[in-house]
Amino acid sequence: MSIRIERPEPHGGRLIDRVVTDPAAGKKLAKGCPALDIKPTVDEKGTPVRNVYREIMSTCYGFFSPVEGSMRQAEVERILKERRLLNEWIFPYPLVFDVSEEDHKKLGITSGDRVLLKLKGKPFAILDVEEIYEIDPEELATKTFGTPEANPEVVKEPFNKKHPGWVIYKSLNRIIYAGKYKIINEPKLRSPFDRFWFPPKKCREEFDRRGWRTVINHQTRNVPHVGHEHLMKNAAYTGDLEPCHGILVNAVIGVKRKGDYPDEAIVEGHEAVNLGGYIKPERHMVSILLWDMRYGNPLESLLHGIVRQNMGCTHHMFGRDHAAVGEYYDMYATQILWGKGVPSFGFDKPVNEVPYGLKIKAQNMAEFWYCPKCGEIAYSGSCGHTKEKQKFSGSFIRGMVAEGVFPPGVIFRPEVYKVAVKWWKHYGYPFVTPKYLVEREKELEVDLADMDI
Amino acid sequence: MAKLFVVLLDDSRLKKLEGSGLEKKVSKLFGGALNAFNLEVSDEHAAKILEEFGTARIDSRGAITDVPIAFNRVVFDEIAKKKSLGPEVMDGVLARVAEIKEAAAKESEFLPAPEIEV
Ligand SMILES: [Zn+2]
Repeated sequence: MSIRIERPEPHGGRLIDRVVTDPAAGKKLAKGCPALDIKPTVDEKGTPVRNVYREIMSTCYGFFSPVEGSMRQAEVERILKERRLLNEWIFPYPLVFDVSEEDHKKLGITSGDRVLLKLKGKPFAILDVEEIYEIDPEELATKTFGTPEANPEVVKEPFNKKHPGWVIYKSLNRIIYAGKYKIINEPKLRSPFDRFWFPPKKCREEFDRRGWRTVINHQTRNVPHVGHEHLMKNAAYTGDLEPCHGILVNAVIGVKRKGDYPDEAIVEGHEAVNLGGYIKPERHMVSILLWDMRYGNPLESLLHGIVRQNMGCTHHMFGRDHAAVGEYYDMYATQILWGKGVPSFGFDKPVNEVPYGLKIKAQNMAEFWYCPKCGEIAYSGSCGHTKEKQKFSGSFIRGMVAEGVFPPGVIFRPEVYKVAVKWWKHYGYPFVTPKYLVEREKELEVDLADMDI
Repeated sequence: MAKLFVVLLDDSRLKKLEGSGLEKKVSKLFGGALNAFNLEVSDEHAAKILEEFGTARIDSRGAITDVPIAFNRVVFDEIAKKKSLGPEVMDGVLARVAEIKEAAAKESEFLPAPEIEV
């Protein structure tokens, strides 16, 4: 048997492409439809926690293939029971288009109708409504993430309003329009996000152009410190006959949390790693995913696997506490999902060994720290100097940054740090502020052209 | 027993100390990669700091932490001005409490960026 690994097919067999690139054709599709303005989902304090536009983008551009729209009730129920779509392919999260009672009454929509969805006041997409149903948001939230009773393999604590993903589902409107989306007015990504926009089809073409057959993905929501850089470089030694040809950084861009760096600093910070030659640009590229993180640790890792497989990656690095917040899940829940499966989520085997499962391979990594004895950034699985080791503590690094102390080269590469300072000067703050959050959720990541319908 | 306060040092801070003789008192953090001073703080000064700044606390090493970021900056400023690590540094810092508090009040919305080329 050859050990050569080929680029996997998209999840579901083909990439979903539901974007009309010809404005005249888009206009025709939306003619005469009742219009609905997309509004952010807000929590009980009125803070935006999600914008469904990001799900529409990620669906129509194929990141979530084979998902094509807002899910029907039977599909949501199947996902909650066994994490599968109605067409059998595995998928972690219910994705729905929710509507306020007020909007629903005003529109008078019934199934079979087409709705024009407007974003920032401009025509954006259409939704062909196949079914209208009601959800109980709190019940949906709890069932989405699991409970210690129902999912004892991985869930340690009941989810509550301190969990940002649970809050997203809990904050949904009760009325759901299910049906396929189609983008009819192609948005333009704003700078600097535009140069990192690689929807799966374009991303696969880019891999071809670069001659990358094997590619390992790095999930991020951070400005990379030197520990992250070493994680990427070392994880990429996996591959087949030779180390992975490429390293794809895929930054999740969406609603932020306090203490996060601004999105602009995150993407340009990763880019600085390759511009600085620490991982040369021929081997490293930065891309984005529009998504309001659900922090579902194992479930999030499943979504990450689907998205990055669709983008054409062969491997995906996962650390402990992957996409986690708090202690709701076992810190190794992602490793359990990919290593032996989670039967209560519907997987009695690892998620790439079940039928209609994933093809992308997990590369589970432990920690990197700085070891003065080794004289290098060392892998926790190798370095035995537990007394000398210096961990990359997030709060220590954030404190040093906030004070304006130039970090040593073993913590931040100077090029990366300068990017953080560049956006600090721009926003007057190194991390996101309430003002930044409000502005960003108003501006979003895209602009749309006028379209007269 | 006296407390301590850790003052991180980067190249630009070290430059401001050139010729002060304080270079010899630099200690190493992060396995030698990061320079710092361990500034001794008298119990009297420590009590005053805790009284003035609600978030401040003393950690298990006896180090004063969780003060406003402006406080850290002023501590270095005073060290550079007095070219000393003696008690006159904290005297100088505590004389500037009003200024620190004013900056601290804005810290959730504004932090001055370092003066470096980007
Ligand atoms: Zn070591």
